[in-house]
Amino acid sequence: MRYDRILEDLLNRDDFLVVGRSVVRTDALDKVLGRAKFTADYVPRDTAVVKVVRSPHPHALIEGIDIEPALELPGVQMVLIAADIPGENQIGYALPDQPFLNDVKTRFVGDPVALVVAADEGSAVEGADAVRVKYSPLPSVLDTVDALRDGAPLVHEGGNVALTTKIRKGDIEKGFSEAEAVVEDLYDTPYQDHMYMEPEAAYAIPEGSGKVTVIGGMQSPFLVREKVAHILGWNLNQVRIIQALTGGAFGGKDDMGPLVCAKAALAAVKTGKPASLIFDREESVAYSNKRFPARIRYKSGADKEGRITAIDVDITLECGAFANRAPFWLWRQTAHAAGPYEVHNASIDGRAVYTNKVFGGSFRGFGNVALHFAAESQVDRLAGELGMDPVELRLRNILKPGSRTTCDQLLDHSVGIEECLTKVAEASRWSSRKRKRNGSKVTGFGVSCAYHGISTSRSTPDWSAASLILNQDGSMTYRTGICELGQGAPIGHAKIVAEITGAPMESIRIEVPDTDSTPNAKPTHGSRGLMLGGTAAADAAIKLRERMVNVAADMLGCPEGEVDLRDGKASRKGEPGETIRFPELAEELYHRGVSPASYGFYAAPKRYFDPETGLGVNYSVYTFAASVVEVEVDTETGLCEVVKVWPAMDVGKAIDPLVIEGQIHGAVSQGIGFTIMEHLKLRDGVVLTPGFKDYVVPSALDTPEYAPTIIVEEPYQHSAFGAKGVGEPAIISIVPAITNAIYDAIGVRLNKLPATAEMLHAAMRGGAR
Amino acid sequence: MRPLPEFKLHRPTRLSEALELMGALESVKPIAGGTDLLPLMRDRAIAVEDIVDIQELHELKGITVEDGALRIGALTTLTEVLESPLVAEIAPALREAVGHIGSVQTRNQGTLAGNLCNASPAADSAPALIVLGAQARVSSARGSWKVPVQELFAGPKMNSLGKDELVTEILIPELPSGSGAAFEKLGRRRGITLAVVNAAAYIAMDGKKCVDARIALGAIAATPIRLPEVKATCKGKELTPEAIEESSRACYALVNPVDDVRASAEYRREMACVLVKRAIVKAHARAGGGR
Ligand SMILES: Cc1cc2nc3c(=O)[nH]c(=O)nc-3n(C[C@H](O)[C@H](O)[C@H](O)COP(=O)(O)OP(=O)(O)OC[C@H]3O[C@@H](n4cnc5c(N)ncnc54)[C@H](O)[C@@H]3O)c2cc1C
Repeated sequence: MRYDRILEDLLNRDDFLVVGRSVVRTDALDKVLGRAKFTADYVPRDTAVVKVVRSPHPHALIEGIDIEPALELPGVQMVLIAADIPGENQIGYALPDQPFLNDVKTRFVGDPVALVVAADEGSAVEGADAVRVKYSPLPSVLDTVDALRDGAPLVHEGGNVALTTKIRKGDIEKGFSEAEAVVEDLYDTPYQDHMYMEPEAAYAIPEGSGKVTVIGGMQSPFLVREKVAHILGWNLNQVRIIQALTGGAFGGKDDMGPLVCAKAALAAVKTGKPASLIFDREESVAYSNKRFPARIRYKSGADKEGRITAIDVDITLECGAFANRAPFWLWRQTAHAAGPYEVHNASIDGRAVYTNKVFGGSFRGFGNVALHFAAESQVDRLAGELGMDPVELRLRNILKPGSRTTCDQLLDHSVGIEECLTKVAEASRWSSRKRKRNGSKVTGFGVSCAYHGISTSRSTPDWSAASLILNQDGSMTYRTGICELGQGAPIGHAKIVAEITGAPMESIRIEVPDTDSTPNAKPTHGSRGLMLGGTAAADAAIKLRERMVNVAADMLGCPEGEVDLRDGKASRKGEPGETIRFPELAEELYHRGVSPASYGFYAAPKRYFDPETGLGVNYSVYTFAASVVEVEVDTETGLCEVVKVWPAMDVGKAIDPLVIEGQIHGAVSQGIGFTIMEHLKLRDGVVLTPGFKDYVVPSALDTPEYAPTIIVEEPYQHSAFGAKGVGEPAIISIVPAITNAIYDAIGVRLNKLPATAEMLHAAMRGGAR
Repeated sequence: MRPLPEFKLHRPTRLSEALELMGALESVKPIAGGTDLLPLMRDRAIAVEDIVDIQELHELKGITVEDGALRIGALTTLTEVLESPLVAEIAPALREAVGHIGSVQTRNQGTLAGNLCNASPAADSAPALIVLGAQARVSSARGSWKVPVQELFAGPKMNSLGKDELVTEILIPELPSGSGAAFEKLGRRRGITLAVVNAAAYIAMDGKKCVDARIALGAIAATPIRLPEVKATCKGKELTPEAIEESSRACYALVNPVDDVRASAEYRREMACVLVKRAIVKAHARAGGGR
């Protein structure tokens, strides 16, 4: 089925009802009024509090744990250590390298050793301080250079390299020999904290014996269920996970959801009483996953015409203490290494390296932020070497329908990057841009493109499910395992359902994900929430629609093809006079014994790849973006401000332009933070900036002016109405566009982020590169 | 989150009552807006048994002018200072400084006296008040007296007040004609940011000649500091851009800042010069210089 042609082929209409329009989100009012319920809102006052006892050492052997002093404190109810875990003491995501509670050694400052369960917050904190852990500190490795040295202390047995990746395509030697200009440099990107408004939280309630319910913030209820069951040694159906509305996630809670929920669940099951674990900001910043730091050596060459002839890229990813998502992250960087350009000769190597620091993990952009920072800086430098305009050089290499990616994947359709780039260049009057000087301040312009494979890579099976019920009163109940994290994906699903069934938006109720009743939609990550989840919603809606149309046709006495469903009514096309309202239609379905419920299931097209060369079909489709940015740099202080942003994105089909704009504006702020402000400082593995005071993120005042968002629509055939994911692609191009603009303004290229005022000031004075 | 430690809260409604309480209690701190005190208590940086909430002392509120001098009651919120036409007219440099403090919410809650008594080396109102020659009226059950604002600062987050003393008002003298003051701050974003360095300048002119100059810097030492040396280099001179550049450049050698998570010592030194220059340029213009 051509999902992009639902309107034409199935609905027989040429106008959309809700798709493509900006509608007020049905959940907006509750959120604005503070009525929306987040995890902590579910926790009754007298619930037991869980506190994590953490290692103060970056690397240490555990010689003994004495829990008695904690148990002697009045409020402390129980202290749990590794030996208390009924299931397997292992919670690693991709590799089994992450003990749930450590009893042998600890690998970063914050590695969990025990859980204190106490009557209240104060006793829990005191209890955690009272647990005596005897450590024997080991030498530690605190950066990847040290970790890769011969004889370096080992974070894990088996070596400090967790895994490697590679791509070999064409002949880079030949490619470089054809180049007129060759540039090579090293690009360093740091940790970034998610700084979601709501820190990690979970509330667990034991239900009799052999069942536990956990309410928490997360991105994948079914992954959380799997991990909780694994720790408890239970079957999946003994664990019920409910995703509470989640106050921001950005990837962070995909990893943290299981870790936090499993701790609350273990405490609840062991004590037989409800227990809650709510991180404070300091714990969240110091001990939760971060954007993986990366160091990328990038060499590229281009011929006289500006065609990129070869790239040679070497990626070193810093895992921190555990691999977590590193295999997928590193693979994504490897696969996207050329950027959205056609390059025939490519050699790419990657390695993920352990250090004794807080572990990296999922974060919006998933490797592509660091990768594009390097790739798009290189493209600008090639243009500079060749004396060519940066937009022009990009256009000469840009992916088009029929092009092949770095992995030799043929892109046969839905490739809108050329249009994105031409349109932002036009809108920003790129060719007539002018640098302005005002006292000590100078402005500059930068451009960048980006592409991002949607959902999971390589041969990982990818599917999604959803369910839809037409209630007796004509209202609808929709269920999806895709999580509402603030981004609005489930609302997008509801719009798809509304479009297909003709139900008014306000008559569709989206239930919170609950693993006991919600179909598994797989995770809300990889910008797949709307694309994969929404296509399952479309499948459910199409199936239900068939039955509604069938019954309505009979009631109206017309052929099925002539039934029109809209505004909660069925009528005959062209004869809106006689209508059947949905309550009546629903009643009739139930009366006739026609099922009013439907289950939607959608599987993405198969992908494959050759592990030897890295070539194959990696992601089923890509979203493309381009941005132009204007910055103003104060040459006396180094302070950089992003003045204006011109964003463009090929989204396949905009289900809701306002939601897309929301994603872009949020991502721009997050990108500004990453590029010029946010700086997680560590000393000996200790995070020195664990809060908003010194981990500086952009505030509302730092929001730039936005040109109208340019939405390009090159529909993808295998997703509902042709829509592609937007959440991650939105941040990727903004980072190099800012650094390219800084270069344009002051002639300084900072290859190591963040480009804070102090760094830029030093660089302008030649103190740093 | 660590809960607040336990304490006993007192809410006197008259100043005399508050001062008596403060005198009688052993381990006591006053609280005004609480924007500094509560985070410090939660972090266990301050531990006291009794807290005297002074918010009900209505006599400590309000902004008035007496003999040309501004009188700002201790409980006046930062927002009230920012919105006061009297402050805008008489002490624009203070208004600038207060506009840089925290966010709207912080300014609605925090007080001017609290900003000083908290004694942060980065307190934004301090450099402006120092160059304006402001004084704080301090009261205790034993009486009341005035101290220059500079002298409220004893060390990082340490004020010079006795445990039984309250600041009741801030007094800012009227500036002579031909003078002007200005405030400059460098943070790490456009707002809600602690100063990397802040600076204020007061310049008095007689025709084309500078007759007085006062410079203060914050976030550069254990307390806000004055740089009397700069006065010497400005006094008697015409403040040409070159002269201002030279005078402010001298700050580099005069300060001895620390490295911390916000900035390196070297960067702070450089920025001290830049901000002092900018503050002098602005103050000079306000003083009618160059006209
Ligand atoms: C998010 C945030 C951002 C901030 N940003 C800035 C900033 O940019 N710049 C800046 O300078 N500050 C900033 N602050 C600090 C703070 O808001 C100000 O210092 C504020 O002015 C303090 O006033 P308060 O009334 O809240 O003081 P409180 O917290 O009530 O008191 C502070 C201290 O002063 C003492 N005290 C208060 N009033 C008196 C009195 N009348 N007599 C004697 N002692 C007294 C208290 O005992 C306490 O030790 C920020 C704070 C927050 C929370």
